[in-house]
Amino acid sequence: MADGIGRDYRMPDADQRLLGTLPFVLDRRAAGMVHAKVVRSLQPHATIRGIDASEALAMPGVLAVLTGRQIANDPGIEPYFGAMRVDQPVLAIDKARYAGDPVAIVIAEKPQQAAAAAPFVDVDYEDLPHVVDADDAATPGAPVIHEDWPDNNCGSWRSRLGDCDAALQGADHVFTGVYYSPPASHVPMEPYICLADWTGNELEVWTSTQAPHAVRQGLEKMFSLPEDRVRVRTLNLGGAYGAKGQVKIEPMAACAARAVGRPVRMELSRDEVFLTIGKHAARVELTTGVNRDGRFVARRAKVNYNAGAYAVTSVGASGQGLTRANGPYAIPNIAVDSVATYTNTVPSGPFRGAMTSQLAFAHEQQIDEIADALGTDPVELRRLNLLRDGDVYATGEALHDLHYDELLDDLVDAIGWGTPSEPASPGKVRGKGLAIMLKNTLTPSRSEARLRACPDGTVHVFSSSVEMGQGAHATILQLVSEYLGISIDRLVMGFPDTRHTPFDTTTSSSRTTSSMGEAVRKAAADLMLQLRSLAAKRWQASEDDVEISAGSVRLRRGDEPREQPWEELIEQAEVPDVTGHGVIESDFGLALMDDPHDVKGPVSVHWHQGGAAAEVEVDLETGRLEVLRMHANCFAGKVVNPLRVRQQNQGCVIFGLGPTLFEELDYQDGTLTNPNLSDYMIPSILDVPATITSTAVESDDPGAELHGVGEMALPAVSPAVANALFAATGVRLHELPLTPERILHALEQNGRNQQE
Amino acid sequence: MSPTAFHEPADLADACALLAANPWGAKAISGGTAIVLMLRNGLIAPESFISLARIGGLRGIAVEDGVLRIGAGTTLAEVAASPAIREHAPSVASACELVGNPRVRNVATIGGNLAEADYASDPPATLASVGARCAVTGTAGRRTVEVIDLITGFYETVLEPDELITHVEIPLPAGPRGAVYLKYRTRSSEDRACVGVAARVDFRDGAVGDLDVVVAAVASTLQRVPDPLAAARGRRLEPPVIREVARGYADAIDPMDDARGSAGYRRKMIEVFVRRALEQVAGQQRGSGGGARG
Amino acid sequence: MTDQTAPSGQVDVRLIVNGDAHTVAVDVDETLLDTLRDRFDVTSARGTCGIGLCGACTVLVDSKVVSSCIMLTAQAAGHEITTAESLGGGDGRLARVQEAFVQRGAYQCSFCIPAMALTVHAALADDEAGRSRDSVREYLAGNLCRCGTYPEILEAVTDLVDEAGDRATGSDA
Ligand SMILES: Cc1cc2nc3c(=O)[nH]c(=O)nc-3n(C[C@H](O)[C@H](O)[C@H](O)COP(=O)(O)OP(=O)(O)OC[C@H]3O[C@@H](n4cnc5c(N)ncnc54)[C@H](O)[C@@H]3O)c2cc1C
Ligand code: FES
Ligand code: FES
Repeated sequence: MADGIGRDYRMPDADQRLLGTLPFVLDRRAAGMVHAKVVRSLQPHATIRGIDASEALAMPGVLAVLTGRQIANDPGIEPYFGAMRVDQPVLAIDKARYAGDPVAIVIAEKPQQAAAAAPFVDVDYEDLPHVVDADDAATPGAPVIHEDWPDNNCGSWRSRLGDCDAALQGADHVFTGVYYSPPASHVPMEPYICLADWTGNELEVWTSTQAPHAVRQGLEKMFSLPEDRVRVRTLNLGGAYGAKGQVKIEPMAACAARAVGRPVRMELSRDEVFLTIGKHAARVELTTGVNRDGRFVARRAKVNYNAGAYAVTSVGASGQGLTRANGPYAIPNIAVDSVATYTNTVPSGPFRGAMTSQLAFAHEQQIDEIADALGTDPVELRRLNLLRDGDVYATGEALHDLHYDELLDDLVDAIGWGTPSEPASPGKVRGKGLAIMLKNTLTPSRSEARLRACPDGTVHVFSSSVEMGQGAHATILQLVSEYLGISIDRLVMGFPDTRHTPFDTTTSSSRTTSSMGEAVRKAAADLMLQLRSLAAKRWQASEDDVEISAGSVRLRRGDEPREQPWEELIEQAEVPDVTGHGVIESDFGLALMDDPHDVKGPVSVHWHQGGAAAEVEVDLETGRLEVLRMHANCFAGKVVNPLRVRQQNQGCVIFGLGPTLFEELDYQDGTLTNPNLSDYMIPSILDVPATITSTAVESDDPGAELHGVGEMALPAVSPAVANALFAATGVRLHELPLTPERILHALEQNGRNQQE
Repeated sequence: MSPTAFHEPADLADACALLAANPWGAKAISGGTAIVLMLRNGLIAPESFISLARIGGLRGIAVEDGVLRIGAGTTLAEVAASPAIREHAPSVASACELVGNPRVRNVATIGGNLAEADYASDPPATLASVGARCAVTGTAGRRTVEVIDLITGFYETVLEPDELITHVEIPLPAGPRGAVYLKYRTRSSEDRACVGVAARVDFRDGAVGDLDVVVAAVASTLQRVPDPLAAARGRRLEPPVIREVARGYADAIDPMDDARGSAGYRRKMIEVFVRRALEQVAGQQRGSGGGARG
Repeated sequence: MTDQTAPSGQVDVRLIVNGDAHTVAVDVDETLLDTLRDRFDVTSARGTCGIGLCGACTVLVDSKVVSSCIMLTAQAAGHEITTAESLGGGDGRLARVQEAFVQRGAYQCSFCIPAMALTVHAALADDEAGRSRDSVREYLAGNLCRCGTYPEILEAVTDLVDEAGDRATGSDA
């Protein structure tokens, strides 16, 4: 079909994107709206003895000050929420768990008035001992962050395959290393923004979210409302990368609106965006047993993800460590323990390449370290151990549709593996490195889609997939066009609105093209079936005699052939429209395992596969590393849109280079010191190579599944650069970011060691 | 409290008088790029702004009587692009070009940059290295302040509340000169310097006649270390001399810690970048055959 | 020009926004970004870092790029302000630079994009900044894009620089 799979169909609203008229929730206003500003804890861990709002209340324009105690005392509000563990209060109740924890909300006529009054809300804190590091927090005797979980555990998972201990004992070589990724921040350019409005006991919320239905469900639960009394709407998202995946500021805005009986707009400032969610810091201890021939015989991994002060998704997400600690390698004996631990820091949540980057940084460096020790080529060592179709993975399941050989070959070609770099100028050295990754997608999950064919010839697409720059909407349109065989011009698609667009778990985990794509395929098939039976009924023919294609129905019976466009059929049948419905649901996965300490069986509907290769240059006197060029690849199944796949791959490289080179959240005395873009910098156009190449590997099978491509190359970026650093200089860093100072220090250590 | 007035005096004396009338409440605003940040962070709470934008004669670049005069209200972009500055003080042009981003340079002024007295700014060190002075006017009259003496601490200067910088004056070199400014960033390309080194050498008979090296971003004030400079005078700008000066700077300066680098790292980078700066100046000298206009 | 007759704490400011002159009473400490968004329905300038760093709030003041988040409205008095909405003359028309972005698909979430195009436009209008792809790239260093659309933006820049070169040499190839 003209606009179907594989075509270069662009976003239909490109002009608005350039003119700046593309709608964002940021631009929405409501008649009579007022503004809310959050008062945040200044202490990392403290009992709240009392809050005196009198001074703030007396300031110009201030309508109300809302506290956690007030919310807790309101019988109409369940004051805690949480996707997997209900541990997060709308506003801190009697205790603040991190510096930045919301403790009160000031509501005023103007945003400036709310902001001006916020510092005058007087909170009486009594400090408690605090803990920032997850290993410290997991140590007995550490400060207790939630009384209900006194060991600070926020998720605990274990998997065992074969006999790891015995295999390690019997291995010819054993390698062990500890790898640390610090916390980082998503930094979507659009901040969190929410507009909440009550009419009676119906709540309408406009919010910048990746998961409108999850927000709806969360709010319905919070206010004990029946289904669909809460209507959640969203527009384009100005970036999310995982930061906008679960319920975030919506409860605060909704409670504020309830308190003043007017629409409330809440827009977070940049520091507050930093204080809302971040990337899990993780310490990974990796031990690998290797035979003389280079084959991996055992892997033991201990992973501790820093959950921050609230669980968000950590309870379940920490289970991803089980699969991701092993990388795309066939290892017969595996023992992984993966936990998440509460600390007094900004809550952690999914971060593009979620839960995987931290582990790829470990296993992809370690495999190079092993290659170096054994005197083999890192690519050859990978080839020797790669997972191939039918191999049994850590969870005991056999994996299929694996493409690591192609991905690795592609990296080798693209970076010119084995060909030395062009010589650098004096005082500088160059080197190349590569890395690959494996990641499961969100399973279980559910996507629904509806397609409504109307008498005016249009087909309306109802889907709750969120457009945030990845091209979700354009991709869905392409797929609908492909599956219905009609031109995209006839398709109409609006923004998610939980009243009209059906359920979808979330737009994340690179699942939209595959999961929503499948829902749309089913909806298209359903729509065509219905059109066919409508035609059969009108023509009093058997359904078997009606053919449907490219926008029309046709009667095949010999003597009186008839053909009619859908819209004519619908009009003459005098039905308002014909609607097809598609649902795809997976009913297995980590979250449904009986015993998190004995994980067995399938955990993913399919596997994300990708890689990256880098060439770097290092200044030996300063330690400054420059990435000269990078290549990214992924397995796409089938490419729906070449430009957008390329943009996802490049985007992964650029996003991934930040935490590789300089991004890191810095805590001093329990307080985040750099919640702004001048102290926490993200990559500019000069910080990334001018050329970033990309490959999407496709399946030979014409009926191949579609794979998401949003984060495949990302986890490979840091280890590829770290491996290139080693190739250039002979130094290894087990901690991100790879700052000049760390590199220089390692170079000096190395020089010293070599002299000895 | 929010500010209540925005004054736009047309002449300098009025501006000084307005500042003198309310020394703690009135705030001079030039490009405003630093002021708006201070306002947002609650670092200042002025009662009124005295805009310098409409004061005559505060903007522009001229060469008069052997002096390059830059009006305090001249934007950094204008300084960077000025043919006169590129000819007579190219290291100053390049330092201004290295400030932040084009949006800042289009608005921020040279006077505002100096008066802000940020330890990590680029232009002050370069201006100091070429012997620049500030022409200052207050209600008590005029005076001249050497740029190196202007900044006395983090965001602190010798200026009285009613004093304004009106011009920056750079004496033109009498003979061949080489000069550079090197900005070393450890994080993004948009970052401020971890170490900034301005070096200037006036050559006499192929040797170092006079020289200056001023280091920015490593301490609360601009750093000049007289002894190694004195030792270099009269010698040829060759590796041994260059290394001595670099070592002398690294040994003498007591650098600070911040997110852009620890004190220990900064000390090493001072040595590397003082050396590289002087090597580039030596390169300029070679390039121009014995002496450089640089 | 500003005028002190407005109520205390406010100034009357005459602004020329996208070609039309208006006089508005604003708070002394109001930023140009807030004024444009709240009083002129401008949506292309977007506040995100608030400290002049990211460029999402870029507008042209007298044809030069500035961060509207760190400029007081009072400072813009009497100046001509152009936003992305009317770079191409208004009414939804695209300027050439915007078209070049569209042709290359140089957008993802697009939050940063109107500002990117304004900045490329300003760079190309400058003899030095606009002379090559690399010089425009340098000029763009203060415009952050978290989605990582930089490669397509550079493709659009290359097209535009080539076109300008062709114009300069009188070739129409
Ligand atoms: C995003 C960003 C990045 C930056 N990066 C850099 C960088 O890389 N390198 C660098 O050097 N700087 C950098 N800066 C700082 C920038 O250079 C200064 O903000 C700017 O130069 C200040 O000039 P202004 O005219 O805007 O001053 P204003 O903000 O108007 O004023 C600054 C201070 O100077 C006072 N003042 C202004 N003019 C005078 C005068 N004539 N006499 C006496 N006092 C006066 C004011 O009262 C105020 O206290 C950056 C700034 C931003 C926002
Ligand atoms: S919002 Fe103005 S530069 Fe970032
Ligand atoms: S396109 Fe999303 S931030 Fe640039």
